[in-house]
Amino acid sequence: MKYIPTALWAMLETLQMAFIGTVIGVVVGLPLSMLSARNLNSKYVYAPTRALLAIIRTFPSILWALLFVIMVGLGPYAGVLAIVMYTIGFVTKLQYESIETIDSDPMDAVSSIGVSKFQLIRYVVLPESASHLLGQILYMFDYNVRQTSILGIVGAGGIGFFIINYIKFFEYGKAAIFLVIVLITVLIIDWVSVKIRDKYIIKSQHGVEVKRKKSLFS
Amino acid sequence: MIRANKNWHIRIDINSMAKTPPFSLISTKKIIQMNDVWTSYDSQSYALEGVNLSIDRGTNYAIVGQSGSGKSTLLKLMNGMMTPSKGAIKIDYLTPNMNNKKFKKIMHTIGYIPQSLGLVKNVSVLDNILIGALPRLNKLQSILKQFPEHEIQEAKRILKLVGLSGKESRKAYMLSGGEKRRVAIARALMQKPTILLADEIVSELDHVTSREIMNLVLDAQKKMNLTAIMVHHDMKLALEFANRVAVIKEGQKILEIGVEGDTIVDFQTGDMSIEEIMEMYNTDSKE
Repeated sequence: MKYIPTALWAMLETLQMAFIGTVIGVVVGLPLSMLSARNLNSKYVYAPTRALLAIIRTFPSILWALLFVIMVGLGPYAGVLAIVMYTIGFVTKLQYESIETIDSDPMDAVSSIGVSKFQLIRYVVLPESASHLLGQILYMFDYNVRQTSILGIVGAGGIGFFIINYIKFFEYGKAAIFLVIVLITVLIIDWVSVKIRDKYIIKSQHGVEVKRKKSLFS
Repeated sequence: MIRANKNWHIRIDINSMAKTPPFSLISTKKIIQMNDVWTSYDSQSYALEGVNLSIDRGTNYAIVGQSGSGKSTLLKLMNGMMTPSKGAIKIDYLTPNMNNKKFKKIMHTIGYIPQSLGLVKNVSVLDNILIGALPRLNKLQSILKQFPEHEIQEAKRILKLVGLSGKESRKAYMLSGGEKRRVAIARALMQKPTILLADEIVSELDHVTSREIMNLVLDAQKKMNLTAIMVHHDMKLALEFANRVAVIKEGQKILEIGVEGDTIVDFQTGDMSIEEIMEMYNTDSKE
């Protein structure tokens, strides 16, 4: 039981790494996904951007972690950088694909006014795809928490560092406690993201109307 | 070249005389001119085949035709969203070109309402209308979404004009079909347009609502002295509201008529009665 505070601290570090990594990854990734969307750019813009993203995506996060451990040394800093790179590669693909599926009618109508591309993105593309983008960011954070738990294996900080060491020294009981902590955290994050989805995503997809209609009959 | 500026003064630019467009009639009144325009979506067939069109400033113009006859293509040529494969188009004496700064300025004042209306579903009615004011915003205001107070007041005034006051914070997807059309009209009016292009905006509405919407456009057209070019498939509606009607069939303009009260003037065959026109149009439709 005395390992639980250590486990909680390690988990907190993992969460911090995943959070910072996701935030930076999304902030860098969003402009890149706008550049990769075929309905917003010419092929001279989207093709090279997509190629760059494909290269980033080729490396699994554990390889990025190894690379950054070599570059910046052991610890959470390398882990955050690995998560940032992985998030950029992965979330941009999800996002440019959902940007490409948005309705072309509002885009045509608004671009016929002669607005700038930035205005088109700010006032049409982002509002139209916001619910998808938010859903993907939540998914990415969820995924990154699980990823970060493993990155410790190569010395990139977080709870994984403890788990792999306990396993190495045959202390499976302690390793199990740490794994349970990871499990509970993932479940909590899942629950929170369901709540956020209900509040912001379902609502923006006509959820309010559905609820109102239901209450008429109840 | 003779060109009318906003105040209707005539300016003669001797240096550009050589570049005078190849139109037989150059008048300060013409806002849209098309000369033998051909367009195609693929290499096999043409959507428009040699259309000639000349629209005066302030006209209430209607384009009538069946589905697939090329009406919507014609509108897309008029706002620069499409370029012709052959032939010449002049909008306010300029060839449509998205990269030309002068034409971009004209685009700011062309209100375009597509058949699907093109509203941004997840934002409020007021935000949808304010999109019409985007060209007047500077970069910082665009980033921060800071519309000047006078623009917001103008949007609210237009909202009242189209009969939607009190619904400014509603999301666009929550509105009824008629209300959505009013928002689309309001967005176009927010551009302070000189030309209003509308693609079958009343085609799916009931008789009463479609009359209301048409009257709304007619009012705005008269008050703002704008050139309204509306596409319909209902000839009756076109004759009722427009003062000039072009009939498009299979990518060609087969008829152009002027409407003055109850008399109809066919520019090719002389005077005709409404019945004759209707009959002619119906026979065409049946073929």
